Amino acid sequence: MAEISNLNIIQVKNLSKHVAVNDNDLHILRDIGFAVKSGESIAIVGASGSGKSTLLSLLAGLDSPSKGEIYLDGEPIHQFNEEQRAQLRGKSVGFIFQAFMLVQSLTALENVMLPAELAGKDNAKQMAEELLERVGLGDRTAHFPNQLSGGEQQRVAIARAFITKPKILFADEPSANLDGKNGHMIEDLLFELNEQYGTTLVLVTHDDKLAGRCQRILRMCDGELTEAEQGKQSNVV
Amino acid sequence: MWFKLALRLFKRELGRGELTIIAIAITLAVLSVFSLSSVSSRIQDSILQKSASFIAADRVLQSANALADDYFADAPLDGLKQARQITFSSMVFYNDELQLAGVKAVTESNPLRGQLVLSDTSFGKQTRLKGAPPRGEVWVSRRVIDVLDIAVGNELEVGAAKFKVSGVLIEEPDSGFNPFNQNPRVMMNYADVPMTEVIQPGSRITYRYLFAGEEEKVKALTDWVEPQLLDNQRWYGVKDRQSPVTSALERAESFLLLAGLLGVILAAVAIAVAAQRYCQRHYDPVAIFKTLGASSKQVRQIYVTHLIFLTLMSVVAGLIIGYAIQSVVFEMIKEFLPKPLPELGAKPFVMAIVTGVSCSMMFSLYPLLQLFNIPPLRVLRRNEGDKVKNNWGYLIASGLTVFLLMWGYSQSLKISAILFAVGATMIVILLLLSRLFVNAGRAIGVRPSNPFHLAMASIKRRVRANSVQLITFTIAIHLLLSLSILKNDIIGEWQNQLPKGAPNHFLANVTKAELTEVNQLLKQQNIHTEGLFPIVRGRLVNVDEERLIQFVSKEKEDKSDAGGRQGIGRELNMTWRSDLPLGNEIIEGQWLKPDSLGEVSVEAKVAERMKIKLGSELTFLIGAQEYKAKVTSLRTVDWNTMQPNFFMIFSDDVLADFPATYITSFHVSDKQKQPLNKFLRDYPTIMVIEVGAIIGQIQSTIDQVSIAIEFVLLIVVIAGVLVLTAQVQASIEERQQEIVILRTLGAKGSLIKNAVMLEFLMIGVIAGVMATIATEILLAVLQTQMFSMDMAIHWDIWWMGPVIGGVFVASIGLLSTMKLLTRNTSEMLRSVNM
Ligand SMILES: Nc1ncnc2c1ncn2[C@@H]1O[C@H](COP(=O)(O)OP(=O)(O)O)[C@@H](O)[C@H]1O
Ligand SMILES: [Mg+2]
Repeated sequence: MAEISNLNIIQVKNLSKHVAVNDNDLHILRDIGFAVKSGESIAIVGASGSGKSTLLSLLAGLDSPSKGEIYLDGEPIHQFNEEQRAQLRGKSVGFIFQAFMLVQSLTALENVMLPAELAGKDNAKQMAEELLERVGLGDRTAHFPNQLSGGEQQRVAIARAFITKPKILFADEPSANLDGKNGHMIEDLLFELNEQYGTTLVLVTHDDKLAGRCQRILRMCDGELTEAEQGKQSNVV
Repeated sequence: MWFKLALRLFKRELGRGELTIIAIAITLAVLSVFSLSSVSSRIQDSILQKSASFIAADRVLQSANALADDYFADAPLDGLKQARQITFSSMVFYNDELQLAGVKAVTESNPLRGQLVLSDTSFGKQTRLKGAPPRGEVWVSRRVIDVLDIAVGNELEVGAAKFKVSGVLIEEPDSGFNPFNQNPRVMMNYADVPMTEVIQPGSRITYRYLFAGEEEKVKALTDWVEPQLLDNQRWYGVKDRQSPVTSALERAESFLLLAGLLGVILAAVAIAVAAQRYCQRHYDPVAIFKTLGASSKQVRQIYVTHLIFLTLMSVVAGLIIGYAIQSVVFEMIKEFLPKPLPELGAKPFVMAIVTGVSCSMMFSLYPLLQLFNIPPLRVLRRNEGDKVKNNWGYLIASGLTVFLLMWGYSQSLKISAILFAVGATMIVILLLLSRLFVNAGRAIGVRPSNPFHLAMASIKRRVRANSVQLITFTIAIHLLLSLSILKNDIIGEWQNQLPKGAPNHFLANVTKAELTEVNQLLKQQNIHTEGLFPIVRGRLVNVDEERLIQFVSKEKEDKSDAGGRQGIGRELNMTWRSDLPLGNEIIEGQWLKPDSLGEVSVEAKVAERMKIKLGSELTFLIGAQEYKAKVTSLRTVDWNTMQPNFFMIFSDDVLADFPATYITSFHVSDKQKQPLNKFLRDYPTIMVIEVGAIIGQIQSTIDQVSIAIEFVLLIVVIAGVLVLTAQVQASIEERQQEIVILRTLGAKGSLIKNAVMLEFLMIGVIAGVMATIATEILLAVLQTQMFSMDMAIHWDIWWMGPVIGGVFVASIGLLSTMKLLTRNTSEMLRSVNM
């Protein structure tokens, strides 16, 4: 069981995002504020189009906010440029996407190695092999993404997300593209590894059942975020 | 670390065939530039060398007087080969027979270009050589042997000296081509001229100083000679001569140049298309790299490495294949080329490498910059970065690259500028037109079950991509059409000029009394002629009461000799005739009528030079009498026909009373030669000039030029096909996502297939139509401006363009779609990463 410290690994203040669409300002996120403790797992739920992915992209430093402050692992990423954000992402953040986002021309093994290689780690290959073994694809290391099923691809993506031992893992609808059985398998795997590595998890989903496996649930509605009922944590503690 | 990753990715992409098209494009650019420039430059070299043999030199200084011994004392003669010739007409004697001969005295180095063909008897074994007869000996043409009934070994009198006949001169490269005054040849050693004592003050002698060597050195000498030329001197090269070969050469050169340029442009387009496609395919990987923490520097390093590897690999492959191609081609055409074979040289290598590297760098620069700018957000918002922005800087840079390549390739700022301007204008017009076409489709509503509507909807959705695609198709089809038409026109016109039955004999010096017999012989032997032209010699002295003498001499009219047929000022060959001769065309006024009196028809260029207008009154001095005639028409004359041509053609009344000789030309087959020679034996004063050798030379030149042209065309066609394929493939990929959606929504394969095929068919046909229009316009400009040919509408391409465009584009499109459709939907879904 991951230990939750009192340290806020994510801290968001007055966060807004709006974009110009056909000369109109589209307000996607309005004045959002919340904090996530280190080791905590939170779910962001909400209807499609409510702004969940947008929030995730800002938290993970994939995009920059229109207004407000975001502190990730103590760093003011709202003041960072793309270069600094990339560095932070490589060091502290892992990702899992609905569309898997594997590099098609790299094998499963190479895909898993990728973040470690980009970060200049020496033992990338060994770590990647271990992780692939861990997600049950030890015998598929040399396969390319298009030779793997959707569920298998997502398992590769999970292995890739953990190779840098990130402090925070962002997952955007990780099982939405998969059928029920595969989806559940992925979810199980995700939570298992998360626990094992003691990672902070931010999970975006529209699936309330999945959200229920997290310790906290935040609900996104028309660009505004509200703290929902307590999740798993309340049952355990 | 990044290098290992870059290398691994590169190998993978290569293995997966992702880089194939772009690699082929660069390879093709390199190999086409290499083989084009090596083959065409070597052929050009050898054509020039070969045609230089028509004057036996690269440049000739011709003078009516001997030059002072120290004339060339401070001339830049280093590295140039030299020879001298003296030509004059003289009676030659053997036993009691005499004959007017064209005597040519030459130094041992003659001819500098080309070779003499010599034989020991009239029909004996022939040897090719350079050189002069030994002192005291002469070589004579067959005609001398026939007329004088002399044999090798006998002694021939020339002027005051006797010479031993030691060979029969079958062919000399610079025999010239002037049917009006060609006497049988007697060739002697330069040093023997004084012995003959024929050179007296006032005798008509032509001195020629021949030079050959590297172009730069020849140029230096030209710069030295030209300022000091006197009125009775002339400095000329092959290209200054008005001959059928010259114009054939010029056209061939222009064509090769043009084709080379177009090859470069096509290659550039292919690279641009392929690079764009490759980069687009890497938008996702780059977004992933960045998301996973890659810095922009790492991303740049990875893809710049790819580019360098790819360029290196393709350039090497291009050079190897190009070298192989040019060796094969060269092996094939070797027999046409003069010995020694021209060296390959470094230029093709340099040009090919520079072209390959600059094309691959310049035309992938913008796609790469876009690739580097792909935001990591793309992993979440899947369309992020898709929108291509206009970048004028890039447009200007790639335009400039194309222009510099053209310039470097053609070495002509003017031609590059013209072609570039025409091309740029055309692209702008095409862009507007394609917008128009695409927008026209807007009006039509969409019913998704109808493949036509689906196709239209698809075209509309990608207005921008489609207009780029349309332009690419149009340009490729256009260039292919233009080049193949131009090729056919050029080669066809040559063949028209020198058809199988082109005249190979001239008969001159026929008297009025002999006319009946000659006509009878021609009829008997079934020999076709354009009729016998009477010739009267005279001078033009007045134009509208203005004495001509001064400005005639000022215009250096002695050019007539070297030019062959331009004689005005000294003596003119004039004729009268009631029907317009073949190859003549009236451009002003009216052709002579049977009852015309005191009228003359003047060749247009002469008229322009002498300021002769329609209605001018010309005064001619014929013998001792002056005659006046009024100009009633101006004619253009096709000097390339093997026909007697005239500057002045009179109405019947003017010259009819003067004693005239007659001239004609005709084709004689080998079978007819015997009776003709037998006939001529009875009329020794009739002169026969065989031009078969000259025609043979012209024809072999044309043959080799045709091969060069076909070869160049083939390469350009391959380049064009590659551009089309690359573009279709790129656009198939653009549509992959759409096909997947349609498929997922349950659209039948056949519906999608039909829609895609229809879409490509429409784009192909429209591109074909636009290409056809562009081709007609371009051809009209080129033919009139560059190739001095007549403008013609090419009806063929009006169906060929659209059909080729439609069929080709649709079938490549269909093929690529089929491949997509045979994969199952979920597999596609995965690879599209929706
Ligand atoms: N850059 C953008 N430009 C235009 N619209 C955007 C942009 N980013 C997000 N949106 C819009 O904002 C809304 C929220 O998007 P998103 O965060 O993806 O929602 P969710 O993930 O909850 O389904 C959507 O309507 C989306 O189209
Ligand atoms: Mg979303």
